[in-house]
Amino acid sequence: MVYAENLRHSYDRRRLALDGVSFTVRRGEVFGLLGRNGAGKSTLIKAMTTLIQPTSGTLRVLGMDPAREGQKIRSRIGVVQQGESFDFTTVQRNLDLYGILWGIPKVERTRRREELMTRFGLDEIRKRRAFDLSGGQKRRVQVAREFMHDMEVLFLDEPTVGLDVIMRRTLLDSVRDEVRRGLTVVFTTHNLEEADYLCDRVAVIDEGKILVLDSLENLKQLYGGKKTIDLTVGNGDAARFYSTLTERLGTRATVTTKGGSAVILTEDPKEALSKIAELSQAMGIQLEWLNVRKNTLEDVFLRSVGHGGESIASA
Amino acid sequence: MRVPNLLRLIYRNIVVNTDPGSLIILVGLPGMYLVFFGYGFQSISSSGGSGVSYLAFLTPGIMSFQVVMAGTVGGSMLWADRRWGMLSQLLVGPFTRLQYLMGIMLTSMLFAIGGAAVMLGIAYALLGTSPTQLFAYGVIFAAIVVGAIFFGALMLFISALVKSNTAYNSVQILLIFVVNFASTVFYPLSSGLPLVLRFLFQINPLTYVADTVRGAYSGTLSLTDAYQMAVLGVETVVILFLAVRAYLRSDVSYE
Repeated sequence: MVYAENLRHSYDRRRLALDGVSFTVRRGEVFGLLGRNGAGKSTLIKAMTTLIQPTSGTLRVLGMDPAREGQKIRSRIGVVQQGESFDFTTVQRNLDLYGILWGIPKVERTRRREELMTRFGLDEIRKRRAFDLSGGQKRRVQVAREFMHDMEVLFLDEPTVGLDVIMRRTLLDSVRDEVRRGLTVVFTTHNLEEADYLCDRVAVIDEGKILVLDSLENLKQLYGGKKTIDLTVGNGDAARFYSTLTERLGTRATVTTKGGSAVILTEDPKEALSKIAELSQAMGIQLEWLNVRKNTLEDVFLRSVGHGGESIASA
Repeated sequence: MRVPNLLRLIYRNIVVNTDPGSLIILVGLPGMYLVFFGYGFQSISSSGGSGVSYLAFLTPGIMSFQVVMAGTVGGSMLWADRRWGMLSQLLVGPFTRLQYLMGIMLTSMLFAIGGAAVMLGIAYALLGTSPTQLFAYGVIFAAIVVGAIFFGALMLFISALVKSNTAYNSVQILLIFVVNFASTVFYPLSSGLPLVLRFLFQINPLTYVADTVRGAYSGTLSLTDAYQMAVLGVETVVILFLAVRAYLRSDVSYE
């Protein structure tokens, strides 16, 4: 659905917003772009949605070149931009006008509008002007509005910013439903939990480069073993305890400490737990918190952008 | 049947820009000029005993004034769409940049024609007369259309270049003031005017529109009007080119 090879883009010819980005988005998948502010996510979305032309590299969306067939591409995609975008009119009229702009016939337009009003909880605010709404309400309207028309690829640029937990889940579930019906989604976010919930594959992008690209499961396994142990000690010499523990665990685990707490990444959590128990007893150290969990996307993200590990080449 | 993109954009522009505030600017303000200035200055000229109907003189001027007002609405459409994110939203939709621009230009033109028609109606209610020849209406229509394109393009050019809200409003207000009052909308070009003002009057495109509309309205069209319209036509092509160029090169977002 999207093919990018060695994409580069510079706004001011000094700093590269995109620096040799290559990836493929497959039909029917949710492809996540994770990164910090200014990492290059929105520039990449702008390039894919034909708003900007990359300085160099190859880009194809739905098999077409955005530079030459931009209008054809745009008539088959949907875009929820990061910034707000509304007409100076009511919520209901905004949805209606958008349907008109996309050429949706009246009966179908009304049906979709009412269905979306219900699905995104907009019934009570339908008569209010879009610009008078709260940040979360505006976001809901913006996302709902995009579903007024049919599309093959949906680009969501941080769509859940400002949404409460329930609405966030409603939105993500709506996207999931559409994906089940064949929609392909490109999704940017800071929120790693929702990327974990929604995405099939993710690319971690930083300073215009893709640092990591793989399925969620592969990424979680690639980074630091299969399990993470969170540990906090309450008394005694925590520094000596952790340095001894690191020695005893050897190369089979990675221990990262901060004050009295440590994060241990290991492929053999049973062995690590037994060493922790032995050592704490021997040194008279009291364990305040001990938790064994699967690696999360946050672990992947932090390690890939340089907070605890080396990065790996994009897949 | 699928409605063409351009018509859908025009429909959207009309719906979004026919709120009470825009209508007051488009119709209410010129209508008040017609009534207050028309009767106010009429009383002066009547007391002077000249017998000239100032209201009849002002009517075609105010009809021409509509091209400036519609142009400002057009410029504001682009500015507001960029400021509030709809420009980039529309441009990731099934439209081209040129279609968007044409949508604004044609909407401005429709506003100018509609506004001029309303002014003609008000004047008819006040004066009881209006042009009787179809040719006169044709000339008025053509002059309003060309004038609307000129001022629409001028305002789009400005709004493509100016990003600050305050700067845009200041430039717009200043331009409206100078263009309207240094033209033959409200008073004739007389030899008694200072040379600089006379020059300003003569190079002001609104003077060309007002003179032509007035000529058609009062049945006194002359070769000078045809010449003025030809000059306006050339100026319109130039400003349209500049506006399209500035718009196509401008950033679609406000940031």
